[in-house]
Amino acid sequence: MTRQSTSPFRVGNLALLRLASLLVPWQHRGEWGREWRSELWHVRQACAAGIAPSWKGEREVAAFCLGAFQDAFYLRRQVRHKKVPLASTRGSAAQCMLFLVAVMAVSYCFALLRPGVRAELLALQYRVPQNLVMIQSARNRQDLGPTISAEQVRMWKGRRQQIFDGFAFYQIVQKPVSTALHARSPLRIARASSNLFELLGLPIQLAPAGGEARNELPRLILSDAVWKKEFAEDPFVAGQVVHVGLREAVVSGVAPPGHWRLPGKVDGWLLDPDVDAVSDGVGFVVAHLTPSAAQEQWSERWRMSAPTPDGTPDDFLCVSLAEKTRESWDLFLFAVILAFLSLPATTSLPLGEYQLGSRKLSWSTRLRRWTFLCGKIALLLPIVYLISLDLAYTRSTLDTLSSEYIQLVSAFSLCLFGLRWALRDQRQRCPVCLGKLTHPVRVGQPSRNFLAWNGTELICVGGHGLLHVPEIPTSWFSTQRWMYLDPSWEILFPESGLVSTGYF
Amino acid sequence: MATEAKLSHTAAMILQAINAGYIYGFSVMEMTGLPSGTVYPAMRRLERDELIRSNWEQQSIADAEQRPPRKYYKLTRTGKVTLESSRKRYPLLAKLIPSEQVESI
Repeated sequence: MTRQSTSPFRVGNLALLRLASLLVPWQHRGEWGREWRSELWHVRQACAAGIAPSWKGEREVAAFCLGAFQDAFYLRRQVRHKKVPLASTRGSAAQCMLFLVAVMAVSYCFALLRPGVRAELLALQYRVPQNLVMIQSARNRQDLGPTISAEQVRMWKGRRQQIFDGFAFYQIVQKPVSTALHARSPLRIARASSNLFELLGLPIQLAPAGGEARNELPRLILSDAVWKKEFAEDPFVAGQVVHVGLREAVVSGVAPPGHWRLPGKVDGWLLDPDVDAVSDGVGFVVAHLTPSAAQEQWSERWRMSAPTPDGTPDDFLCVSLAEKTRESWDLFLFAVILAFLSLPATTSLPLGEYQLGSRKLSWSTRLRRWTFLCGKIALLLPIVYLISLDLAYTRSTLDTLSSEYIQLVSAFSLCLFGLRWALRDQRQRCPVCLGKLTHPVRVGQPSRNFLAWNGTELICVGGHGLLHVPEIPTSWFSTQRWMYLDPSWEILFPESGLVSTGYF
Repeated sequence: MATEAKLSHTAAMILQAINAGYIYGFSVMEMTGLPSGTVYPAMRRLERDELIRSNWEQQSIADAEQRPPRKYYKLTRTGKVTLESSRKRYPLLAKLIPSEQVESI
């Protein structure tokens, strides 16, 4: 075997060193690798320099290379220990994050107490909402108004359908509801097909266990608010016969709060098998897609053309309920995007205007600083979402459109304010230990602004540096500047443990 | 001095070897019989504690001898003081690695 044949060993040794170098912090990797490669050359000369391969020599060289891993591990630990700890004083990064987490927890608990917000948060959706669509006239752009006539629904039900296998019709009317004992005030009643709740998969509380006592009567489902207010939370309300207008109906349960997400504010649902036969005027239609139609890739809004009772075709808009149940989240995202776009108009964005000299913070220190900022924003967004929902659902009497406006405006305002705060807070923190800068001192005089330094000086209690904020931005001093203090200042600071040169 | 009291036998041996003229890692390994995984981290610790300092050999010298340049280590003033006190603590140190070998390197 010639000397050339030993090259695989050499390649293997270099690969080992290369592998070990991955453990070495990048700032030391170059010199570390250079030293080990140089030493390897000398070790190889001493142990495996012969013409014939010496297994003993190669083993010694390999053992030498394996020692590089221990050295790399040691160097890695040493550099980690040099990291500057975060400030633990008042206004530290940890305290700030804890405060935000606490606000988020409070907002979440408060939101859970409100039925409307709770429904949004717990994603109370209809059964398979992507298979359910609301059908409305394509000519009428108003989402919230009723557009489909009862006659139209009767016609759809009477024809053989390829796309839909179930329709539910409802229209909202004002009717007085009264029992034998008390006359009640007029309520907003949704006169609906008897399959409405089954189609939507809505739960019914307090439903009679043994089926309906009087099946020939229409069923009345009460909203939770009406059950509490008008029926004094009577647990035996189911089975009672009430008058809805002039018709008798039997109460067959209570709809839990927050589940009804379709257009129209409703106090009760009068489920009548013949609603589309006896009704006139227009109402809302919910349709269920057939399994074969559901498998096709429908968009969330699509148009269809269908014949009308007078024989002419008309266009209808089908809107998936999956889209309708996501509206609050979509509004929030829109508000967040608007707030991010508006932010530059309200405050300056840069955070890195501290540098005066050529010294640069280490990669890990800079990463920690940016992680802190991103963490603040990440905690801020759920807080904004929860508070905007709280505000939108403050009053249960508000209609959907008003709630959406309130949510949009409040989410935008809170998000903009929050982002401004996050940036300003970041600028008032030490870039090294992320502690809040303290002890502001006014320096200079406004009248001497163009002759001498005039502004405010803040100091990091950890002794990492001074922040100079100009009172009036000038061409020679337009932004705040950071002056790092070297370890010779350590003696002046009680938190001397924070002082280290390791952050460069 | 706190550093003197903490110096282990291994560290003292490496310090003694460097003082004796074994001024690069492999020669310290050969002299002390310690493996590379012990010698190099120990030398980094000594350098961190400012007992030794390192410098790279001039490229021209290495080129003339057709080999890669080496990283040489040298005792600092503090290192010499620490070695003196370590010799008192470990009397066999000087016998294991005699200082007079400096001349032979």
